[in-house]
Amino acid sequence: MPDNSSSHHTVNSMASRFARGIRLGLPILLGYMPVGIAFGVLATTIGFTAIQAMVCSATALAGAGQFIALNLMKDRADVFAVVAATTVVNLRYVLFGATLSPHLRGMSAGKQALLAFTLTDETFAVNVSDRRSGYSTGASMAGVGAIAWVGWVAGTAIGAMVRYLDRRSIAMGYGFRDACHVHRLASRTRRGPYPRRRGGTGGCIRNRTSRARSFRPRLSWIIIASIGAATIGAVLFR
Amino acid sequence: MTPDYVWAVIVALMAVSNFAVRYPPIALVSRLELPEPLLRWLGFVPAAVMGALVAGEVLRPGGEYLITPVSPYILAAVPTALIYHYTRSFLGATLSGMVLFVIARALVA
Repeated sequence: MPDNSSSHHTVNSMASRFARGIRLGLPILLGYMPVGIAFGVLATTIGFTAIQAMVCSATALAGAGQFIALNLMKDRADVFAVVAATTVVNLRYVLFGATLSPHLRGMSAGKQALLAFTLTDETFAVNVSDRRSGYSTGASMAGVGAIAWVGWVAGTAIGAMVRYLDRRSIAMGYGFRDACHVHRLASRTRRGPYPRRRGGTGGCIRNRTSRARSFRPRLSWIIIASIGAATIGAVLFR
Repeated sequence: MTPDYVWAVIVALMAVSNFAVRYPPIALVSRLELPEPLLRWLGFVPAAVMGALVAGEVLRPGGEYLITPVSPYILAAVPTALIYHYTRSFLGATLSGMVLFVIARALVA
């Protein structure tokens, strides 16, 4: 009779490591849900169906990049402008990937691709911190990525559903929010209420447009500041 | 082109472009033997990037500087950082930060 105890132990160990990653990633879930809801509301407000919004979140997992894409699509930007903007916003992931890569040596290309797909600011922070504590494994990193993905996609689904129910209430005569107010709610959930904005629907659309444009250089400065700070740290703390 | 077709193209290209900035650095760099100075530099990248992201969100919410004693972002961020420092609990600090921000925003508004 073949001895399966070793392989059974390995499977259990992988499962427990994956579960540990999920536990580590729970704070990410808490953070992603409200922002995902905001994305779901905003996406369905500008014309996405609930399924389209969810597919977008499930395949891109891009956070700020998705919000910027929505703003540009609403402003009728062309396809390549939308894709270029989201790519530029997410260029910091090049740095993240390069930083994580020495820890992923020996891993198969498929597993690396899976971890790369779930690479976000938050999963990066959790995995790097866990790696430094010495407990991080590929399975735990996959668990962190999985719970983050679930939070983002589930949040989008809830947001799309909220918007759908709101439409129904408007159709039944109980609606009290116009589209711009929903945008403002989404923006507040995403960015907080400060600074306060003035104006009606026109002002709202102008604000969103200028926000989309001002977001890109701000993120570029984050990349430049990060490269500069890391260089100073590497030089000073040998 | 129909709206559905445009949507499908945009979503597909977004997925590809986001994966394209994430996967190649991992695939390429993990197969290279990096020199020690570059490894040391990469070791400082997490703290640098996280510092830049958090500082931007706390001090410049919504793209405009808000550095005042009554900024709910600062009022929530300082005790949250202290809570993490003393507890080393990511979950505890996240939950505390969310509650503190709600309280700070209610007090300031």
